Amino acid sequence: MPAAARTVGRPARGLGGSDARLGWLLVAPLAIVMLALVFVPLGMTLIDSLYRVDPMRAAQPFIGLRHYVDLAADTNVRTSALNTLALVAICVVLETVGGIAAALLLQRIEKGRMWLLAALIVPWALPPVVNALVWLWIYHPSVGLLNNLLLSAGLISHKVVWFNDRATALFLVAVVHVWRMLPLTAIIVLAALQAIPTDLYEAARLDGAGPVRSFLTITLPLIAGGLGIAMTQSTVFAFNLFDEAWILAGASLDTRTVLIQVYMSAFQQLHFSYGMALSVLLMLASLAVSIFYVLGVYRETRID
Amino acid sequence: MRRLPARLPVFLGVLLLLLWSLGPIYWSLVSSLMRPADLVADPPHYLPPVWTFEHYGKLLGATSSYFGTEIQSVWPQFKRALINSIVTSGAATIVTVLLAALGGYAFARLRFPGRDLTFALITATLAIPAYTVMIPLYRIMVAAGLIDTYLGVTLIYASAFLPLALWLMRSFYAVLPASLEEAAALDGAGRLYTLFRIVMPLAAPGLIAAALLTFLSAWGQFVVPLVFSPTLGTKPLTVLIPEFVGKNYVDYGLMNAAGMLSIIPPVLLVLLLNRYLIRGLTAGATK
Repeated sequence: MPAAARTVGRPARGLGGSDARLGWLLVAPLAIVMLALVFVPLGMTLIDSLYRVDPMRAAQPFIGLRHYVDLAADTNVRTSALNTLALVAICVVLETVGGIAAALLLQRIEKGRMWLLAALIVPWALPPVVNALVWLWIYHPSVGLLNNLLLSAGLISHKVVWFNDRATALFLVAVVHVWRMLPLTAIIVLAALQAIPTDLYEAARLDGAGPVRSFLTITLPLIAGGLGIAMTQSTVFAFNLFDEAWILAGASLDTRTVLIQVYMSAFQQLHFSYGMALSVLLMLASLAVSIFYVLGVYRETRID
Repeated sequence: MRRLPARLPVFLGVLLLLLWSLGPIYWSLVSSLMRPADLVADPPHYLPPVWTFEHYGKLLGATSSYFGTEIQSVWPQFKRALINSIVTSGAATIVTVLLAALGGYAFARLRFPGRDLTFALITATLAIPAYTVMIPLYRIMVAAGLIDTYLGVTLIYASAFLPLALWLMRSFYAVLPASLEEAAALDGAGRLYTLFRIVMPLAAPGLIAAALLTFLSAWGQFVVPLVFSPTLGTKPLTVLIPEFVGKNYVDYGLMNAAGMLSIIPPVLLVLLLNRYLIRGLTAGATK
């Protein structure tokens, strides 16, 4: 930030000056919304997860960590946790590899890049539910496009009911999610690529480095920051996958994610605080993996 | 691009990218324009042998037929859900962008006690999904009588999408030259006047980017309305359309047609405002 901005941003005034009053006046509406609808409910989630809160049962006794103990033994919870981990792994790998490939390709396009970017970004902009419905039709066991394409390519000998097999089902759910999220990685990586000075590549070529070597020694280290953010976003979004799995396979245990399990516990079986305990665990997992992102935000705040 | 052999892989790559990105949408679009009998053809038709708007007619018309039988039109439901989607996404966008535009300026330019902590806390919620707080939020909304109301859904959307919009607005303000504000201050302009008449117009790309991201997120929301919009009072398209996928009978033509209609606003926004969208998506990542 230029020095001039700093003098305006931080005038030498004491606390409680007109800056402070105006500052809080401008921030107040948003702070109230966030407090009432995010931070208070967040506190309620943490506290209520230690009580038995069921709308179907009268008392709300304190039960300590009982829900958390029960969650650890709940086979449905374990299965959904494994499903979520599998989805995270598949999604992050495919989005990162595919996103880098797409970004490297786009970087070489000079004419019409804006149009290609628009085409690339469309799946990201659509409602995930509609994406899932589009792919539900592609995955249709008897008249779906996937079966027909694989049959005519000779890759399968007969039509497959894709969601009969757990691993296949998980992979196909992940594909729909990757279809939506890959553009985000590609765009972030592309922005990072464009910030690399081209003379670095010239120098590497003069030194006799091939394309693979200059990718590993120049490109990859210089896009690491953007890639880190993109991968964190991929991870957080995959951790909270709901729409695609719900539309493609409903409550099926084969593809049930932790978030679907939370939804079913709370809003179908009406075990509110049990669902809260599970969402606390999901939140902690989500927070743990995005710690780099949070640290990035914090560092940014500190610098200016 | 200089050497001719180098062009072929690029060309193939572009083709592959377009097939991957737009292929599924193309397939859904042509499916929505095929007669029910052509939909189940084996091998499939990659272009409709007979073009038909009967699925769209079922969605948008007063009466309709399926395999020759007169059936009830879904237009009344579809219309309600369409209006609900527009109202909730529009309201959420206005509220979110307004609050983020005001707060972002304070966080970028003004000094007040608790500023850095407040900003850090709010942006930290980017890392936790809105779904985490959904169960207590449900109880709060029930207590406040805001279930299935536009106000309730709008407030939830605003709380979910504010952190990103705020982050964006603050980073857009931060790179604006402060000299203009200084000049305005020397001329005796008040801070609010300066904010609305000088700073905000300059930050217009940021406002557009924040509005786009918020609108697209709200338009695509599924879980929040699934819980908070139980009836057609506020139920959006994203919740209504999957209901067309019945348990034992799925009208794929209708489903694809409804999907294609629901993606018109996002597709138009991407085509028209792509530049702003990309700036918004990369604002947090490249600084």
